[in-house]
Amino acid sequence: MRVPVSWLKEYVPFDEPVEDVAGRLVISSCEVDRIVRRGVPDTDGNLGRYLVGKVVEAGKHPNADRLQLCRVDVGDSEPRQIVCGAWNFGTGATVAVALPGAVLPDGQKLEQAKLRGEVSNGMILSERELDLGVEHSGILVLEEGPEPGTPLADVLPLSDDVLELENGHNRPDLLSVYGIAREVAALLGNELAPPPGADPPRADEEPVDVQIEDFEGCPRYIGRTFRDVRIAPSPPWLKARLVAAGMRPVSNVVDITNYAMLGLGNPLHAFDQSKLRGRRIVVRRARKGEQMRTLDDTLRELDERDLVIADAERAVAIAGIMGSLESEVDDQTTEVLLEAANFEPLTIHRSSERLRLRTEGSNRWEKGVDPYLAEQAAKLATQLLVELTGARWTGDVDKRHELPERPVVHLRPERTDLLVGLRTEPDDQRTILERIGFEVALDWNVTVPTWRARDVTREADLVEEVARFRLDDVPFTLPQRTVMFGRLTKDQRLRRTVEDVLVGCGLSEAYNWSLVPVDDDPRAIRLPEPLSADQAVLRTTLRHGLIESAQRNVDGGAEDVGLFEIARVYLPTGKKLPEERWRLGAIASGGFRRAKGVVETLHEALKVELRVAAAPQPFLHPGKAARFASGWVGELHPALLDGTWGMFELDLPTLYEAVPDVVHYEDVITYPPVRQDLAFVVDEAVPAGALIDAAREAAGDELREMRPFDVYRGGQVGPGKKSIAFAVTFQSGIKTLTDEEAADLRERIVTALRERFGAELRA
Amino acid sequence: MDVEALEREAQGAVAAASTRVALDEARVRYLGRKSQLKQALRGVRDRESGMTLNAARERLEAAFAAREADLDRAELDRALTEDTVDVTLPGEEFARGHLHLLTQMRREIEDTFLGLGYEVFDGPEVEEVSYNFDALNTPEGHPSRSPVDTFYVSDDVVLRTHTSPGQIRYMEAHEPPVYMVSLGRCYRRDTPDPTHTPTFHQVEGLAVDRTITLADLKGTLLYLARVLFGEERDVRVRTSFFPFTEPSAEFDVSCFLCSGRGCNVCKWSGWIEMGGCGVVDPNVFAHVGYDSERWSGFAFGLGIDRIAMLRHGVPDLRLHWENDLRYLEQF
Repeated sequence: MRVPVSWLKEYVPFDEPVEDVAGRLVISSCEVDRIVRRGVPDTDGNLGRYLVGKVVEAGKHPNADRLQLCRVDVGDSEPRQIVCGAWNFGTGATVAVALPGAVLPDGQKLEQAKLRGEVSNGMILSERELDLGVEHSGILVLEEGPEPGTPLADVLPLSDDVLELENGHNRPDLLSVYGIAREVAALLGNELAPPPGADPPRADEEPVDVQIEDFEGCPRYIGRTFRDVRIAPSPPWLKARLVAAGMRPVSNVVDITNYAMLGLGNPLHAFDQSKLRGRRIVVRRARKGEQMRTLDDTLRELDERDLVIADAERAVAIAGIMGSLESEVDDQTTEVLLEAANFEPLTIHRSSERLRLRTEGSNRWEKGVDPYLAEQAAKLATQLLVELTGARWTGDVDKRHELPERPVVHLRPERTDLLVGLRTEPDDQRTILERIGFEVALDWNVTVPTWRARDVTREADLVEEVARFRLDDVPFTLPQRTVMFGRLTKDQRLRRTVEDVLVGCGLSEAYNWSLVPVDDDPRAIRLPEPLSADQAVLRTTLRHGLIESAQRNVDGGAEDVGLFEIARVYLPTGKKLPEERWRLGAIASGGFRRAKGVVETLHEALKVELRVAAAPQPFLHPGKAARFASGWVGELHPALLDGTWGMFELDLPTLYEAVPDVVHYEDVITYPPVRQDLAFVVDEAVPAGALIDAAREAAGDELREMRPFDVYRGGQVGPGKKSIAFAVTFQSGIKTLTDEEAADLRERIVTALRERFGAELRA
Repeated sequence: MDVEALEREAQGAVAAASTRVALDEARVRYLGRKSQLKQALRGVRDRESGMTLNAARERLEAAFAAREADLDRAELDRALTEDTVDVTLPGEEFARGHLHLLTQMRREIEDTFLGLGYEVFDGPEVEEVSYNFDALNTPEGHPSRSPVDTFYVSDDVVLRTHTSPGQIRYMEAHEPPVYMVSLGRCYRRDTPDPTHTPTFHQVEGLAVDRTITLADLKGTLLYLARVLFGEERDVRVRTSFFPFTEPSAEFDVSCFLCSGRGCNVCKWSGWIEMGGCGVVDPNVFAHVGYDSERWSGFAFGLGIDRIAMLRHGVPDLRLHWENDLRYLEQF
């Protein structure tokens, strides 16, 4: 919403700098995106170079067929000679003149010039050159009256500041110049003018035929008829205000409806009454299959939920959104039916969304316009139609359902203080509320103004009305707590440990999108309307994102890449919501051993026993793939990414589950360990892990550690065989092991491995 | 024999010995088997002269030992001076990974609120419309409900557009008082560009207790802003509208780049927009069965990605998602 400050000041005069007023609005009312200075620059006496001129003489330029040579009186002793390219005026016209040295709104500086051999001592201006309109086919011809030499700024709004406001969803009352004026008046403590518009006397008592079939969609419809309307361009002041507010002037009738909307916030519509079949208005839902060509020359298919304004036969407007081309006011129009109605927000919102048609009108309706406002808007438009188009006001009808009562809400002033944390004297609360139109009874029953009836219905809403005027005064305090707690849960602490361990392993943390183009699981949740095909499915594995990220780093020239990600996956359940599980995934150059090493380090750090078993996965190297309790680890299938990559993915809650709450001390200090190296020759297919498991079973707790450190294949062990060397530590927590006891443990291991795997101890 | 003179002479020789060889020679001369002192000791007959001689021997032995240690140390130091390195050459390299900047921010914010006595909680990302909108008092027709802005999974399920539904789930499961923050992924239908990504991270805070006020909210936000941006920061709140708070406000931090003088990051206003906040709306309390007359609360939310971007001068939000090691390794 753009609010020209000169317009605003008509409703609330103020002397404060506009920046200060904007600063107050920002805190208490609405966001101000910026303040735009528009029109003729008001610096260095520039405005003084713009004067009213009277054309004393106008004729063809002697050396150019398309130019006029004029002599213009601007109050000097002698008229000035000015060359002009327009022909829409002649001798006697009152015009706008800029003198040499004037800076134009577009920043250009006007110089004395010679055009085709004739001196031009100034410039006769068009409205576009003054930034007052869009018309540029001729110059701006002013009403007669002001003396030549009158400062032009006295006659036209040459320069203005415009507040560009952003409007929240819940304050439709701020979508008008008058609504902003009300806030400014309250903020500054200044007087607010009464709302603009007063009915002129009615010229006739013609009936106006308005039927509302759907009071729910349209609680109120004021129809007013006018005759002897003369369609013409609007006067410069009106055009200037519309342009400054960001709307394009069209014709006096249309401009007046827009002006009343911008000024008061109630969108209006003007029909050519002679085009309404049966001279009748019916407000109803669209019929099945009904069509209408809107003002933007588009044929619209209507829906039975769309509210339309119809005449006796057909829809002539989509209510609140846009009129039909066929009922439009045009140059020939002499009879006008003015619509000042009220429409229900959701209906307008739905139709506007469905038709993808957003207009200044729909934007206001869908936020909820005060149904009492229609009358004032009708008055303002009526006054202007009569004043500016020569129309006679001939008919008036106000069809309405019972309009909503003004809510009465009880306020406990101490409640404001309790919720805000700042004392505001009850009298001050009363003053604040009254300034913005609330009526506060002695018993603190507060009657809400009609324009706030939608958003102020409860005590908390009144508290906000007071609080928003005091936000800068609210102190900075911390809660007075009645109970103290606050710590991470076990899983949250473990997550940090996991992150730190992985960083310690040399991996960096990646963040990948939850939405992927394809997923392994055909049942994975697919968005019905994704933003793009790349982000269409909720992932059930972190693998794809990690592979892609690794690839991107390789493409970027990285040589050693190690990435991990901790994020949720979304497992389909067949129920309303998927099961969201935290996963850890990683990818690292270096192949299986690096990935396995990270998995081992992680388990060790969390004191979780890791047991792996070979288990193929379609995306892994078939010979280098394993499963463990919470996930898988392996070497990525080389077809999926060039190079040798280790990967793993595990389910974090499963891992956390296995983490002991408390680690108990084991005595590995008091009694000395006995260390031995043992090498066994076994069949190629026997995994080292199976040997260790068997050894543990055979030797019990006194086998403290059995770590494979070398695997040998070759002549000495024979084909199909391998030799695995283990570093073995025997230790007891309760005594020193004797040589005999150590030898016995070793013998138990050797025997067990021989019996189970045919393992032969190498000397 | 003049023991004193002999000892003086020997002490002089100890002090004069400047190498181990010279010291060893002196030791042989004064304490060796054939030395005057040892011979004298062997010839001692009376107790008194024995004590004198032994005392002299002990002093000399100590002197030799001390001198020997000095010479060894001097010798070691001499050897070390020849074994030098160029200390400006790099040390041994360790492969060290890096936490993502957003994880670092997450921890920093979590720690801030843990310190203030809050719990960390996170609800589901795929969320029911009833939690994401209805329970948060979002009216029908509110623009945030539009499929233009929100990813719908089905008519009644969305990808959560904010972490706020977590508030509802938390309150449903806990009696007040409540002090919790919720940090996690959120989703909005924004085409990726330097300042938008369709997935982003939010932190949401909720406090419910007997006497929570708007002033407590301001104080908490100031605390957070100073943790994140420095002790000299200020915070202001501006009126706003959110369906789930009343009064509602947006909060700004004084610009940490220009300190309020005006720059293009704060758009010459001196303030940087941080997020939304307010006093919990009674309708939200009613939904979870809290009594607004007995309890009051505040809530706030802000985007972590954007804060990280501003604080660390990351020019493009999409960098958070590209996982380029050249980006990750900077933090």
